[in-house]
Amino acid sequence: MVSSPPDAEVIGRSLDEPEVFGLIYDRHAPTVLRYLGRRVGAEIAEGLVGELFRVAFERRRTFDASRVSALPWLYGIGSNLLLKHRRSEARRLRASARMAAAGEAADERATAAAAYDARVLFPRVAEAIEALPDDERLALLLFAWEDLSYQDVAEALELPIGTVRSRLNRARTRLRELLEPDGKNKEKAR
Amino acid sequence: MRPVDLARKLRREAAFEPSALDRGKAALMAAIRRESEPRRWPTIVPQIPYQDVTAALSFLERAFGFREVLTARLVSSDGAIGHATLEFGSGVIGIGPEGHHGTMSPKTAGIESQYISVYVDDVDAHYQRAAAAGARIATGLRDYFWSDGGHRTYEALDPEGHRWRFHQWIREGPRS
Repeated sequence: MVSSPPDAEVIGRSLDEPEVFGLIYDRHAPTVLRYLGRRVGAEIAEGLVGELFRVAFERRRTFDASRVSALPWLYGIGSNLLLKHRRSEARRLRASARMAAAGEAADERATAAAAYDARVLFPRVAEAIEALPDDERLALLLFAWEDLSYQDVAEALELPIGTVRSRLNRARTRLRELLEPDGKNKEKAR
Repeated sequence: MRPVDLARKLRREAAFEPSALDRGKAALMAAIRRESEPRRWPTIVPQIPYQDVTAALSFLERAFGFREVLTARLVSSDGAIGHATLEFGSGVIGIGPEGHHGTMSPKTAGIESQYISVYVDDVDAHYQRAAAAGARIATGLRDYFWSDGGHRTYEALDPEGHRWRFHQWIREGPRS
């Protein structure tokens, strides 16, 4: 079997033979579509995936050929496109919180108290994620939902790795505040 | 539970139609074919000078719905945009920094020496979009009629004072 060329080589060849770029789609579109779907639901994601690759195709000259995979770069383009769909994203996140709480309540091993916690906690987590500044939310969700490494998140968002680390730390801190009982009380007192 | 695990609990898969990926591929391949074909460039292309090309580009896309031809962008060594090309329907304009080719932005000159007419399908929708994006409306929507038809227009100023006149052709006579 002939081994297939790495992404950078395919993108390089596509400068002269544009059709070759279709291979990048075949390789990564399923992953990227799932990402878009998790963020904004199937309907918008299906419309966005073509646009994402069209933008990638138009920008293919700017792809850094030293990178092994084009996937972080595609995640980055997708993340930018998603910023126009914040309302759909928030709606989906709130629905996911309700479903996660319901799932917890249906778990027979969970105590009533745990189910109650879940009902209170998950909507607050959704709210907290929603309230994060765009750059922190993008970094957090690429890391937590897509399992990207710090290096890949840095490539996707075109940031130094130190900046990614500090954004993720800030996002973690904000979420951790929700989990601490004191944090809850403080929230109520406000 | 760690904060990241908490966020992970809210990850939920979307249910896609089986054909979802096919449509995206078709959209991409159509874009690829468009680039492979020789571009039918208009024979006249206005070149418009700005003090801040990046801001102008973003405004023209956001407010007027123009689309940059990304492959045609020129970037200077300091990262600034040296020239950008935008499409709208069958029309094309270029934008670049003032001072080149003897041009000056109205923001610098204090005067407009021309305006550009743009023909759109739905001028009311276009007006709403431009106004919402912060375009200064110089003349609100108005209908003009002649014996063989008319048009509905408005005029907007972009952030540097270039004047844009948007028209929609209308066939029926004036409403009484």
